[in-house]
Amino acid sequence: MEFLALIEQSSLAVWLRESPTVFAYATVLAVHTFGLALVVGLSTAVALRALGFAPGMALLPLGSLFPLMWVGFWLNAFTGVLLVTIDARLFLTMPTFYLKLLAIALAITSLRWLQTEVFEGRAPNGGVSAKGKRLAGATLLFWLVAITAGRVTAYDAYIGWETAAAVLVLGTLLLVGGHVGARMLRGSTRLERRTMSASRAAADM
Amino acid sequence: MEAFLRYILRWPSLEHFIQAYAWVWPLAEVMHFVGLALLIGTVGLFDLRLLGVGKGLAVAPVRRLLPWGVFGFVLSVVSGSLFVGGLWANIAVHPYDVLIVNGYLQTKLIFIGLAGLNLLAFYLTGMSRAVDAVGPGEDAPPLAKAIAGVSLFLWFGVIYVGRLIVWGNLALGG
Repeated sequence: MEFLALIEQSSLAVWLRESPTVFAYATVLAVHTFGLALVVGLSTAVALRALGFAPGMALLPLGSLFPLMWVGFWLNAFTGVLLVTIDARLFLTMPTFYLKLLAIALAITSLRWLQTEVFEGRAPNGGVSAKGKRLAGATLLFWLVAITAGRVTAYDAYIGWETAAAVLVLGTLLLVGGHVGARMLRGSTRLERRTMSASRAAADM
Repeated sequence: MEAFLRYILRWPSLEHFIQAYAWVWPLAEVMHFVGLALLIGTVGLFDLRLLGVGKGLAVAPVRRLLPWGVFGFVLSVVSGSLFVGGLWANIAVHPYDVLIVNGYLQTKLIFIGLAGLNLLAFYLTGMSRAVDAVGPGEDAPPLAKAIAGVSLFLWFGVIYVGRLIVWGNLALGG
């Protein structure tokens, strides 16, 4: 605990926390969000493609996005350490914060495995294996846990758990709603196609 | 005008909802971040491709991911409206007062508006149709590249000034 207090009193932490300029704390936080956008955003796009969305998009060229994701990741590892020093005693004694770190570790691990499975594995022109799809789903889920845990470090633990439950409920509703909605849309287009081909057949006769 | 804005910007029912349930505000924050990631992940990917990153991709199929970006934008607008409409429940300040003094919030809204105009320009200049013909390994037209660069700049700018809002003037004094 004394060591953590020492970190908070370091000149870097004091400057970050107390400097009136927006180029200290606020900018570090903003860069942390840039990193999130890069690593979570781009890996989400790749995961969605692996799950079967935008099927016309070639898989292999997506591999060139990974270096940008790692830029985002290291940007956040760096700014993350800076942000911890600002309030070291709070963050490093908070279970939620360790949950966030665990979720990030799991997300990055599944993303690495997904990269290997899809981009370095065999069958370059084939689809994505069932394992690849599971890894894509896992990556998305772990990012959601990481974002939720990260956000609620600013609140009391019980509010954090309530929020997690709310994220789960809303996420499930959106997922089910989207699935049903997509099926209905696809169903109606299939019906249209059938009606159209029927009328075309009638016209041919 | 001021009376009208003061009337529509404060949503009492939303304030009650936020006050009654402690999880509403952090849930909206999570939505805002998920929305941001979806928007940058898909729209940003499209912009990057136009600029030449991931050049092996044909442009047209990348568009099929853009509905996820629209979904992300909707998540962000819904949660962002909650922050504005329910602001009183959080810091007991009228959102109108923040809106007229907070330069970061103003810049953020202007940037979002400019991103909209930029998108409009993408369609009106015919670039939207032109890029559909850009195949694997091919360059997008210079104008499409310029529009993509502006889009990336504006969205990252939105993130930056968005983060600064709470460091700006929150009209707490009056």
